[in-house]
Amino acid sequence: MRKISIYLIIFSLSIALFYMPNTAKAEEAVTICAVHPFTGRFAFAGIHGADAMEDAINMANEEGGINGKKIQYYWADGEYKNDVGIAAFKRLYAQYKPQCMWGQSTGMTKALAPEIKDRYKVLYSAYTFAEIAANPEENPLLFLPGPTYVEQFGVVLKYIAKEKPGANIAFFYSDTEFGREPIPAGREICKKLGLNLVAEEISKVGGVDISTQILDMKRKKVDYCIFQGFVTAPIQTVIKQAKDYGLTCKFMGTFWSTEKHLLDQLGPMAGEYMGVTAYSYYYQDEFPMIKKIREWTKKNRPKYADYRSQAYMQVFMGTTLFIESLRRADNTGSITGDSMAKALASIKDFDVGGLMPPVTMKNNSIPVGRIVRGNAKTLKFDPISDWIYLD
Amino acid sequence: MDIFLQVIVTGLATGGVYGLIGLGFVLIYKATSVLNLAMGEFMTLGAFLCFTALTQLNAPFYLAFTLTLFLAFLLGFVIERLILRPLIGEPIISVIMITIGLGLILKGIMYMIWTPTFRSFPRIFPPKPLNLGFAVVPSGLLWGFIFAIIGVIIFLLIFKFSRTGVAMRATANDQQAALSMGISVKGVFALSWSFGAMASVIGGIVIGNMSGINVYMGDVGLAVLAVIILGGLDSIGGAIIGGFVVGILENLTGLYIDPLIGGGAKEVAPFFILVIILMIRPYGLFGKEIIERV
Amino acid sequence: MRCGDFKENYKKDEEIFQSYFVKFWLALFFIFLLIFPFIADHYVLYMANMVGFAVIGAVGLNLLTGFTGQISLGHAAFIGVGAYASAILTTRFGLSFWLSLPLAGVVSAFAGVIIGIPSLRVKGLYLCIATLAAQFIFEFIFVHWESLTNGITGIHIPSPRLGRIEFSTEKEFYWITLFFVVVGVGYARNLVRSKMGRAFVAIRDRDLAAQIIGINLFRYKLSAFAISSFYAGIAGALWVTFLKVVTPDHFPFILSIQYLAMIIVGGLGSILGSIFGAVFMTLIPEILNYLSEIVKLYAPGKEEIFVPMKEVIFGLLIVLFLIFEPLGLAEIWNRVKNFFKLWPFSY
Repeated sequence: MRKISIYLIIFSLSIALFYMPNTAKAEEAVTICAVHPFTGRFAFAGIHGADAMEDAINMANEEGGINGKKIQYYWADGEYKNDVGIAAFKRLYAQYKPQCMWGQSTGMTKALAPEIKDRYKVLYSAYTFAEIAANPEENPLLFLPGPTYVEQFGVVLKYIAKEKPGANIAFFYSDTEFGREPIPAGREICKKLGLNLVAEEISKVGGVDISTQILDMKRKKVDYCIFQGFVTAPIQTVIKQAKDYGLTCKFMGTFWSTEKHLLDQLGPMAGEYMGVTAYSYYYQDEFPMIKKIREWTKKNRPKYADYRSQAYMQVFMGTTLFIESLRRADNTGSITGDSMAKALASIKDFDVGGLMPPVTMKNNSIPVGRIVRGNAKTLKFDPISDWIYLD
Repeated sequence: MDIFLQVIVTGLATGGVYGLIGLGFVLIYKATSVLNLAMGEFMTLGAFLCFTALTQLNAPFYLAFTLTLFLAFLLGFVIERLILRPLIGEPIISVIMITIGLGLILKGIMYMIWTPTFRSFPRIFPPKPLNLGFAVVPSGLLWGFIFAIIGVIIFLLIFKFSRTGVAMRATANDQQAALSMGISVKGVFALSWSFGAMASVIGGIVIGNMSGINVYMGDVGLAVLAVIILGGLDSIGGAIIGGFVVGILENLTGLYIDPLIGGGAKEVAPFFILVIILMIRPYGLFGKEIIERV
Repeated sequence: MRCGDFKENYKKDEEIFQSYFVKFWLALFFIFLLIFPFIADHYVLYMANMVGFAVIGAVGLNLLTGFTGQISLGHAAFIGVGAYASAILTTRFGLSFWLSLPLAGVVSAFAGVIIGIPSLRVKGLYLCIATLAAQFIFEFIFVHWESLTNGITGIHIPSPRLGRIEFSTEKEFYWITLFFVVVGVGYARNLVRSKMGRAFVAIRDRDLAAQIIGINLFRYKLSAFAISSFYAGIAGALWVTFLKVVTPDHFPFILSIQYLAMIIVGGLGSILGSIFGAVFMTLIPEILNYLSEIVKLYAPGKEEIFVPMKEVIFGLLIVLFLIFEPLGLAEIWNRVKNFFKLWPFSY
């Protein structure tokens, strides 16, 4: 009898939950929603990214919002799983009818692109640098706050071609959408620059045993190994074990792996690793925007006052572009899909306080990057090239 | 040829680590007939605990290691008491699902305590690789191998010669008979879980040392199933030998087949091996054949 | 108030819905299901569709695991086979959705039979592990057989059309889902009280004894795998056509576990249980989302705890149900029903 009444109570409570006041009706204010990979394999990025978006929006609201209108912000966790992310996207859209949306992964971006174009008409970017979001004819509402992976490969390969023409290259990528996306284009770029692509190694993210891949690279006498699609593991294992197996090549990586925590893992071997990044680092406080972020973080999120990752910078940049597009679109009278797309395309030489060099959107991406190298003493990345522009 | 030998050697070393984790599975299965699919999470937990002991408490390695082993021992008892006791007599699917559920809970708790940031072990083993002339064994793998062999030998000795070992074997054989001989079956269950937890925790520390610690490193646990099926679900020696075989085959696949089909074959190779073994010799190389009566 | 169980002919004894009371409420429920899409917003409809797919998949798995006792950890693989089959048939071979859907189910059933073959040699735990291996092998095939599946990029699927009607929004797709759920559940419910269903149960309970009394284990075990995979294939094909895209990421091991959790929480060996379990497990993440929103309202900043809690709660549900209510939600439902049957004299 008691068990039954307990069940009845739980049942009625759960029904009651569904009738709880809908905590936020779609309002006339400007709304930005996001799906962050707050848990899951990309969580290291999601945790910082979620904060980045909130910080950027709060900063903008303090400075007057969008011509006086406050920006509302809501987000959900996509767990870095496609179906959870897509469900979260649809739920957020249905509940808040945002003007801008941020996605959690390359996979989700690709899945939702057609619907964003036809149905949702929101300005969209994500934790990705995939080509599909840099195609204004096909997807005018998708954009990237930085260079595409292909452009990043371009920056890296250009650098290598200058350092050692005709070098032997290996692509080491993960078995995911994120990993495979730029590889075909990367092969073309190698051919064009006269570099020899001798090996392609594939591994799961976080693979435990990568000795066969290392041996294959040694066998093929690789000079430069470029990582794509990994963040930490197994990059540090490859670099450490390469020494043991006698593989002497230089290692480079694309954006998501130019994070400080990779250097922490590498320790004294940090100097062996180079990468391409598009944003200034948290410790480069000679730039006004970086200083502003640091002060804000110290005041509002003291837990992270010591360091904010590049993922933070990427999302911050993306949100800045959202806000600027919203402002420009609002200036033309109304914020619609079309007006935002036009506003985004109109961004030229936009000063972002040193977070990046002045931003000009080209094909809905920002094709600029710089090579950085790890410093074993300070465990930070030092820039070793100027900003390289790709056209 | 040079590369081939190197691959064999690496395969053996990796196999040793697999064998260690497989050992954990076997220890639990042998006494309780339960396949613990939360093994990966035990591993991860062990790695995190050891890491915390090393960094937060600044303990020297042998102390951190012992502490972690002790905690694993306790964990085994706790789990047996809370989760397995109520399930005695339930069908096997319930027990498997409960271990899966347990794994999810552990994963979530570890996530909340340690956050998903990638961690790295401070240096615990001398970093010099072992140079055998024709092949090189990196230090992480080498020490993993050593630990695995030591672990297996210790457990084999315990099972063969100590009173507890004999009690465990008796329980695995026939619970009723063991009970009537005065052996505390519940105690044996708890002990076998503790041993299993300890073995997997060592495996976790070894792997964590090689490739960093992260909430998801437990996914290796599933590939180890191939190891124990090959060796036989209730054979300790079989776990190690199965580990060697799977390690070598996996690496050979990685070297020769991966380049042909664009990668990924290496990770799935254990599962192909698994299916083949199940078709030909389901009880593995050294497992006991179960005869069923109506 | 019932005071006994009196049936006057065999037909009445075998009826699924035995009293006018039940029939009345069932009819009402159906009417609700038909009106539902006109009163719900498109997010609720999205969830309704997802629940529908989960129900079909769960019923399939329950037929295999709950009724026939063959534990399968590879259900997601079969869902994937069906999903890809339907996608490939629609995009590459230009077949209409209405043709590619049942064909996808057949392809999936075929895959199920192949995986079911080891079940004749191994049982219980070993079969469980074999299905686990199948899960990972199929995942591998989805990613690497690029000429067929387009690999990681996946395939974009056009919406199904019927004449001039295009089923592209949640509301429109709901009708397709509803149709298949009703057909699927109806068929399954009838299957389990037929000869085949009884054979399944016999195999689950004591398969050697079943064999002795003349049930052909080979045939019935493979049939169980085939039917279960057929259901999974249909569920998969519907799901990805609804999402308009299929990628290998959609079918990880954790999906198999989710389905197993559905039937365990819902009740093994009970069709109604599969429905309960599917509804429950699909809605739990949503309930958690609601809770976290409420927490956000009253204690901003603290809601981040809920996010990793999902895994903990999921695992906790599995564990708690197995410890305290091993027969699942269906059993709870039965108890409540029986309580009210004799109310107020339920003691």
